[in-house]
Amino acid sequence: MWAFMSVLTKEMLLFFRSAGLVAVILYAFSMDIYIAGSGIQIKPRNVTVGYVDHTNGGLSQKILSHLHAPEFRKPRWFKSQKELSEAIFNKEIIVGIIFEKDFANSKGATINLLLDSTAASQAFTTLGYLQNILLSFYSSNMPVKIKIHKLFNQNSDNRTFMALTEMLSVITLLIVILTAVVFVKEKEDGTWDIMLLMPVNSKVIILAKSLSQVIIILMGVLISLGFVVLGTFDTPLNGSFWAFMLLTFFYSFSSAGIGLFVAAISKNVMQVAQLSIIIIMPLIFLSGAWTPIYAMHPFIRWLSIFSPLRYYIEGSESIFFRGTSFFDLWPYFTGVILLGILLYGYGFRKIGRLF
Amino acid sequence: MRAGVIRAYVIKEFIELMRTKLIIMVYLMPSMILLLFGYGIKMNVTHARVIIIDNDQSHYSRILTTKFEHSKYFNPIIKNMSEKDALGLIKKAEADIVIIIPPSFEKKLLKSEDSEIGVFIDGSYPARATTMANYAKGVILDTLSKEAKKAGIKSKIIVLNSRFLFNQSLRDANAIVPGLIGLVMLVAPAILSALLIVKEKERGTIFNFFASPLSKSEFITAKLFPVFLLHSINIFVLFLLALYIFEVPFRGSFLLYWLSSEIYILISIAIGMLISVITKRQIVAVILTVIITIIPGFLYSGMLMPISSMKGDSYIEAHIFPVMYYTHILYDTFWWAKGLNRQKLSIIFS
Repeated sequence: MWAFMSVLTKEMLLFFRSAGLVAVILYAFSMDIYIAGSGIQIKPRNVTVGYVDHTNGGLSQKILSHLHAPEFRKPRWFKSQKELSEAIFNKEIIVGIIFEKDFANSKGATINLLLDSTAASQAFTTLGYLQNILLSFYSSNMPVKIKIHKLFNQNSDNRTFMALTEMLSVITLLIVILTAVVFVKEKEDGTWDIMLLMPVNSKVIILAKSLSQVIIILMGVLISLGFVVLGTFDTPLNGSFWAFMLLTFFYSFSSAGIGLFVAAISKNVMQVAQLSIIIIMPLIFLSGAWTPIYAMHPFIRWLSIFSPLRYYIEGSESIFFRGTSFFDLWPYFTGVILLGILLYGYGFRKIGRLF
Repeated sequence: MRAGVIRAYVIKEFIELMRTKLIIMVYLMPSMILLLFGYGIKMNVTHARVIIIDNDQSHYSRILTTKFEHSKYFNPIIKNMSEKDALGLIKKAEADIVIIIPPSFEKKLLKSEDSEIGVFIDGSYPARATTMANYAKGVILDTLSKEAKKAGIKSKIIVLNSRFLFNQSLRDANAIVPGLIGLVMLVAPAILSALLIVKEKERGTIFNFFASPLSKSEFITAKLFPVFLLHSINIFVLFLLALYIFEVPFRGSFLLYWLSSEIYILISIAIGMLISVITKRQIVAVILTVIITIIPGFLYSGMLMPISSMKGDSYIEAHIFPVMYYTHILYDTFWWAKGLNRQKLSIIFS
C-alpha cells in the first residue's frame, strides 16, 4: 500500500514539475474546447445570396425580403444567369436564386436554385432553410399544421454539442498518450527494467502509474466541465453529474489500457506519438462523435462494438442531453466496464513482462 | 551550407527513422485518416429511425405513412404506443423521430379544419436534427399537396429546383476528401519535424550538435529534409487514394496541386519547428502539435462550414491559419480548374 502511494505521489509530482505539460493540458481542457465549441455553427450565417429576377418584382421581392440577417446577407442582384454562375465560381456568393419569367402563375411556381456545394453541409441546411421559407408562404391555405419539437436541444445550439464532443475526444487522446509516455520514458531511460526487478510488486507500480494519469485527467475534466462546458456554453446537464464522473472514471481505465498496450510495443516517444494517433483517430471519429453509429457503413458499425469510446459518447450524450436515468444507462456502463477490464488487463500483462 | 555534410546527416536521420520503424507510420497515418474519415463521415441523413403513431388509421393517414416507408431517408416503424412511451424510446436513443398523427385527422382535413401533426426529433445531433426536420416537413407537405391536387383543390405550391454546383450528387466523399488531404498534410509533417528536433533536446544529444562544426542552417536542413522528402511522396499517395478509392473527380492542373502541396508541407514543417523551439519534452511537443493542428485544421478548412459564416474572432483566426488557403486551392484543382489566380494567396502566406 505504501509503495502504491509513493509511486502515485512521485508521478503526480513529476507531472506538476513540468510547467510546459501542465500548461498544455490546461490549454487542451479549456481553450481548445472553447475554440471547437464556438467555431462551428450549423445554422446558416452570413450566407451570401445572389438573384436574377426576370419577373416584375412583387412576389419575388417579398420572398427575398425573408432572407435577412443574421442568417443571410442582403441578396445581390445580377443581370443574367451567366453572371450568377460566375459569381458562384468566384466564391462571391453561395446561393443563387433564379426567378423565371412565368414564375408566379396560377399553376404554381418553380424557382431555380444554384448552390455552391463546396461546403456540403451548409449548402444542405441553406436549402432546407429556403424550403421552409417558401413553404411557410404557401402552406397557409393548407389546413395541416406541422409542429416540430426538437427534443433536448430546442435551438439546435450546436456549440454545446461540439464542446462536449471535443472534450470527450481530448480525454481519450490525453489519457492514451499520457499513460503511454509515462511508461515509455522509463523504457527509454532504461529504468523500467530496473523497476520490474525491484522487490516491490510490479503490478502495484503499473497500477499506481496509470492511476496517477487517470487522476490528472479527471481533474482536467472537472476544470473543463466547470469553466467551459457548463459555464461558457451552458450545456444542459439533464442527467446526473455523478453518473458522468463515474462513467468517465471507468472509461479512463479502458483508454489507459490502450495506452499501456502502446507503451508495451513502443521503444521511444516518437513511436508512441504516431502509434497512439493511428489507434485513437479511428476510435474517435468512428465512434459516433461526428456521425451517429446507425448511419454508418454496416461493417464499421460492427467494428464500433469493440470501441469503448462509442459507449462513452452515447452514455455521455444521454446523460447530458437526454437526461437518461441512472438505471437506463446500464448498457453504456456495461460496455465501458467490460471493454475496460479487457483492455486494461491485456495492456497490464503486456507491459509487465520483461521481454 | 556544405552539401557533403548535409548529406551525411540526412543519411543518419533516414537510418534512424528506419530503425524506429517510423517510416511505416509516416505513410500509414495519413492514408488511414483519409480512408476512415472518407468512409466514416456521412452528412446526408438516411435510414433515420422513425416511429409513427397513427391515431387516425384513415385513408389519408395511411397514404402519409406509406410515403415515409418508401422514402430512403426514413426507416419507419408503425406502432401503437402511447406518446410517453415513444418519447421514452428517443430518450433511450432507440429512435430518432416520433411522428404522431392525431385522431380525426382525415375528418378535419376534408372539412378544411385545422389539425396538427406532431413531429418529435432527437436534437442531440443538431445538424442531423435540422436536416431530419426539413425532410419530414418536406415529405408531409409534399404528400398533402399531391393529394390536394388529386382531389382537385387548387393549392399553390412553390417547387424548388436546386442544382448543387460542383458536386451534383452531394457526394460526401467529393466534399470531404480534398479537405481531409489538407488536414492530414498539416498534421503529419508538423508532428514528425517537431519530434525529430525535440527528441535531441530531451536526450541531451543536441549539445553534440552545438559542439560540432555543423552550422545552424545545416542542422535544420539536415533534420527537416527527410521529412520533406517523405511527405512529398505522400502527396502522390493521397492523390491516388482520392482518385481511385474515393473516385473524386479531378478537373484541374496536377502541377498546381503538386506545387502548392510542396509549399504547404514547408509551412507544416515550419509549424513543427516553431513548436520544437518552445518545448523541452517530447510528450509536450506531441500533444501541443496535435492540439494546434487538428482542431483548427478541421474547423478552418471550410469542410464543415464556409469561412464566411464564421463569427468575429473565429473569422480572423481562420484567415491567419494556412489551412483555409490550401484547401481552397485543393477544391479548386479537384473541382473547378479555375487555375492560377488562387495561387497568389498561398504564396503570400508562405
